[in-house]
Amino acid sequence: MKHHSIALAVFAFVALGGSPARADEAALKAEVETLRAEVAALKDAVHQMQADRGAAQKPALVAAPASTAPSPAPAPTSPLAAAPAPAVPSAGIALGEGTTLWGYGQIDYNHPTARGADAQADLTRAVLGFNHVFDESTRVYGELEWEHAIASADDAGETEVEQLYIEHALTPNYGVRAGLMLIPLGLLNEHHEPTQFYGVERNFVETAIIPSTWREGAIAGYGSTDAGLSWNVGIGTGPNLGKWDPTSEEGRASPLGSIHQELQLAKAHDPSLFGAINWQGVPGLTVGGGIFTGKIGQATAKQGDGDATFPADDARLVLGEAHARWQTGPFDFAALYTRGTISDTQALNLSFLGQPTPVPKSFWGSYVQGAWRALEWNRSALVPFVRYEAFNTAASYAPQPQGLGTPPLPTERVWTVGANYYLNPNVVFKIDYQDFNRDDSALGYGNRFDLGIGYQF
Amino acid sequence: MRQSICGRPRDIAGRYGRILCLVALLAGLNATSVAAARGDVAATAAPTPASLGARIFRDASLSASGTMACSTCHDPAQAHAQNNTLAVQRGGAASDVPGFRATPSLRYLNLNLPFFFAKDGTPTGGFTRDGNAPTLLAQAQVPMLAGHEMANGDAATVAARLSAAVYAQDFRRVYGDDIFADAELALTAAQYSLAAYEQSAPEFHPFDSKFDGFLRGKWQLSPQELRGFALFNRPDKGNCASCHPSTRQADGTPPLFTDYSYDNLGVPRNAEIPANADAQYFDLGLCGREDLSDRRDLCGQFKVPTLRNVATRRVFFHNGYFHALTEALHFYVQRDTNPEKWYPLDAHGEAQKFNDVPAPLTRNVNSGEAPYNRGLGDRPALSDAEIDDLIAFLGTLTDGYDPATGTADPARDVPEP
Repeated sequence: MKHHSIALAVFAFVALGGSPARADEAALKAEVETLRAEVAALKDAVHQMQADRGAAQKPALVAAPASTAPSPAPAPTSPLAAAPAPAVPSAGIALGEGTTLWGYGQIDYNHPTARGADAQADLTRAVLGFNHVFDESTRVYGELEWEHAIASADDAGETEVEQLYIEHALTPNYGVRAGLMLIPLGLLNEHHEPTQFYGVERNFVETAIIPSTWREGAIAGYGSTDAGLSWNVGIGTGPNLGKWDPTSEEGRASPLGSIHQELQLAKAHDPSLFGAINWQGVPGLTVGGGIFTGKIGQATAKQGDGDATFPADDARLVLGEAHARWQTGPFDFAALYTRGTISDTQALNLSFLGQPTPVPKSFWGSYVQGAWRALEWNRSALVPFVRYEAFNTAASYAPQPQGLGTPPLPTERVWTVGANYYLNPNVVFKIDYQDFNRDDSALGYGNRFDLGIGYQF
Repeated sequence: MRQSICGRPRDIAGRYGRILCLVALLAGLNATSVAAARGDVAATAAPTPASLGARIFRDASLSASGTMACSTCHDPAQAHAQNNTLAVQRGGAASDVPGFRATPSLRYLNLNLPFFFAKDGTPTGGFTRDGNAPTLLAQAQVPMLAGHEMANGDAATVAARLSAAVYAQDFRRVYGDDIFADAELALTAAQYSLAAYEQSAPEFHPFDSKFDGFLRGKWQLSPQELRGFALFNRPDKGNCASCHPSTRQADGTPPLFTDYSYDNLGVPRNAEIPANADAQYFDLGLCGREDLSDRRDLCGQFKVPTLRNVATRRVFFHNGYFHALTEALHFYVQRDTNPEKWYPLDAHGEAQKFNDVPAPLTRNVNSGEAPYNRGLGDRPALSDAEIDDLIAFLGTLTDGYDPATGTADPARDVPEP
């Protein structure tokens, strides 16, 4: 509003005091109209400046080249988007000075070819986000999400705060952030909007192994160099192994997804560390990796009345990943490998003997993906793609007494072939077919075709 | 004037206020009452509701026969369950009135839940085999009044017997000099005392079995016990853990080996129960309750008990049909594969399965999940050798484990009265 007031005052002065009086009323009217038009144009310019400020607060933030650097604008604008839209997508809506509202949403339809009765349509998620700039170096960034349309005591939906952190730039090249933030591992976790990835559903590797959308309460530093190197290191909360349910399928679907805490009354005895680095020194190429590690027992054995029946307080999680992406001409190639281990699970699994889902000792996943911007017209584009994934959520277990151990799970391999059709950079329609090497109805694995709608603003 | 917990001058607080006081006290049992709950403390320290409960629990003078106390059927040395092999106990003034169901253990009831229907409609929690008592306090009243148990009939009789008990003066010290003037209130105070005792006395929930020590990493289970543990948990074998969970609870509480739910297992009719002489009589469990009489789908369901101390039970299931654990386990896995072993045969030589459930309601019997998902002649989910392993594991759930001798005795933690 300050900019508006200044502009109006300047033009009021010009109109009422700065010009000589005119006798010709018609001429005066014409001049007033001209001035009005100029005021309107200036208002628009001020609005645009505010929007730009909200989207890219300062040069250091705008220049951030990689996922490990901050994404001051809503995440969809990141240059590391897993599936670049054909033109620059929306940067959100300016609500007022320094505040931007943004959002995205996704509606999916899945049709298993062998079990048509299990076909399902779902408003997978609707998200509203905000970015408020306090001053030239400090902002708050938040993401609020509804999943599965309805969240109530009697429905399966969820409502959640997915990100909420304060970010402060110390110099144009580095800064700190604190709060609930996304863990900077992989290509998808920080850029999970439907316009940013190929296929109706997020890939399996970055949901089953890297549990997108994975966030923790943390304090982190970030930065970048002129050579195209960006980095992000932090310390914060981690998963809680005390949540492991050996009777459930959840741990088999995603070991870390079943025990992450999402900053909901999180057990926080054991801090975790994470770090990620990316290099984008060559236009179109991104090479990087990250690691997350911490004890995940969270002193469970020492909680409550001290009746220690939890034998895995020293369990440690290590999850690492490496990725590369090359965008050249109409082509977009990506590859990722990730592997995780959990130590000291032998005694805990002994207490789960015979249960269907013990804690894995190791789990891994990898994928390669290629996409081709085959057609592009006006603001629209058609981008067919193919992806091959292999992953295993329980590749090994700690040894158990002879004859009583659980065999490792078989590796799941999935081909996905489909296309993203961008009506414009912010609206996408998707179709794909997924071929699984092994059916697992409990986890929803089985050949299927999918349709999807996504948007962002 | 001596200080009492809920005794107040008549002109200040009325009867209902004092009942509320008792209920509030029950909800707020504190460390003092825990410490005083042990019977040996009662004689030396100031009396508390829990210490009074310990004495009431063993007081046979409170029954019409003068021979039946709570501890008669809930023997502390037998993990607070029955110490004989009778299907049902006999009570009443002449100790000749038979009951209707086998005696359940009182251990670990401090962690039980009030009766409710879970989100998916599963009946859950409650006290007694049909959950009809919502709280420990309410449960304590049932045997005191029931004609086939202590047979006091009404509160006035209970109050009169309490006032003549050796601890009557302590009762007054705790609940007020005029407590016996109001029979209903005196009965409530006695129930409150029993509930406080059961909730706070360590011997009711010692968590000191071999399995507890295993979970705490103190010692290991034997290879046979481990095999049995795996069979207990495996969904394709015993599948016992589906109703008797063996994992620690979300709040860190060690497993209780019950999910507090109800089930209809089609246990054979027990001719040892006198009431069963009437062919038209059926103990219908949940739907036998007045408030659930229209829920025919719940007919035949009884509460899933904890399996802690199961190896010390003298009878099994609600009607006490089985007298040995191995019989009960064989019934689980061979009920459907070899029904002729468990049910009477009709004129054609076919087993009359589920003969303790009225014919139209046999569909209520659990037949969908392992180990009941088998048919006539199929291989049972567990072999005899595997049942031996399972029994070895269930033996690790007995309270009072002594690693020096490798034996367990639920009486080990029970103080002398």
